[in-house]
Amino acid sequence: MKTIRPTAILDYYDGVQIFEGRDAIGGHYIGVFVDVVDKVDQYLVTGAVPERLRQYRSGLLDLRTLLLEAPGGEWYLTLSDGSGGKEFILKPQSGPLIDKEDFLPLPGLLLDDDPIDDQALREARERHNIVFEFRVQPPEAAAAPRVRADTLAGLLQRLQTLLKCAGESVAREMPPSQRPADAAALCLMDVAVPAAPDSFRVLLEAAAPLDTFGPRLLFRSLERVDALFAAAADPEQAVELLKPYPPSLTAAYGKLLRFLDEQQTSLWYAWAEPTCRDASYSGVSAATAGRLSQELESAAVKTPA
Amino acid sequence: MLIYREPLPEDCPPETAEEIDSPRIVYRRVWNAPPIDDDFRSQRAENPGKEFKGVSECRVRGLSVFVEREDLETLLKRPNFGGGQIVQVALDNGAGAIEHTSRHTSHHTWWPLAAYDILARCQVT
Repeated sequence: MKTIRPTAILDYYDGVQIFEGRDAIGGHYIGVFVDVVDKVDQYLVTGAVPERLRQYRSGLLDLRTLLLEAPGGEWYLTLSDGSGGKEFILKPQSGPLIDKEDFLPLPGLLLDDDPIDDQALREARERHNIVFEFRVQPPEAAAAPRVRADTLAGLLQRLQTLLKCAGESVAREMPPSQRPADAAALCLMDVAVPAAPDSFRVLLEAAAPLDTFGPRLLFRSLERVDALFAAAADPEQAVELLKPYPPSLTAAYGKLLRFLDEQQTSLWYAWAEPTCRDASYSGVSAATAGRLSQELESAAVKTPA
Repeated sequence: MLIYREPLPEDCPPETAEEIDSPRIVYRRVWNAPPIDDDFRSQRAENPGKEFKGVSECRVRGLSVFVEREDLETLLKRPNFGGGQIVQVALDNGAGAIEHTSRHTSHHTWWPLAAYDILARCQVT
């Protein structure tokens, strides 16, 4: 009898829709809600190659393909009735999954959800400072929580540059009497926790104490960065949004997106300050980063500086 | 004291939820046309014994809704998620509490107050 333990909820609507699980020897699985049987949720479960699962989580692979690529073509049904304790008992099914069209999603369905947790807000309150937390899913993380040093260093450098450019663009809009002399320096952040134990999440906190001018500017810079990512899925809107800002901000944003595309990793982040009611969440999938990066480069060619 | 549509555990809705005090529209999938009360039952009301590791009791006693209709339409592509229809629900002062519970979509969890007449504010779209 094979059992798996859910390890992450990937999508939720009136119950868990998609989850990730592991078996006793560390094998990866994906579970998708398919039916309600005697008031109990039934899930279709297949094994998943770690790299393909990572690509699905990064928005690079659709759910149907992931399910149909199950190693050995094996697939299972399971019920969330608690009969396996906190584990799901998998019941092997016969026949190719491709013939079970009722269980399969339409092609092209990418993961677009990522349930919220409140780590950024918790840390912001504990540290009484602005906190920015991000997660990436590079290929090397498929089998174990790790990230290449080059990738991490590249991301940190590009994110910090983006924040400094956003800070300078915010400062330019301030009345001269209130404008800080060195806006970029006020947007510096420190790596507070290099990596959380169970992942390669990285936590940054404002380098300047919260009661100085610095973090306020950083706060507004982060809001500006949020606005950029909020428009990422619509390249035309994103290009329009960037037009009023200095070219340095567009360049910094473009470099980060290109880097994400090259590393084939999504970037999801959350940030908060101690008095926030909620953390602010945003980010971009690797696929979206690639599309937008090309659009920004194309727009730059059309309108040379 | 606020009386919710369904009994809630302690500290639910969470501190991070927002008390609804201004008009807004949300979208939900329902099975009946016109919608009936059963279309607005929580997962806990539907399945009293159901548990899923990682999902809080507070959350299973709330209702899933979306602020953006397109996000719900995307869900309809899921296996066996098809069927039913999308209704828009007008929320206003007295509707209860709501919290944004997804990083990348407009999914919210809504805890309605008992006195809020949901059906009178539903519109099939």
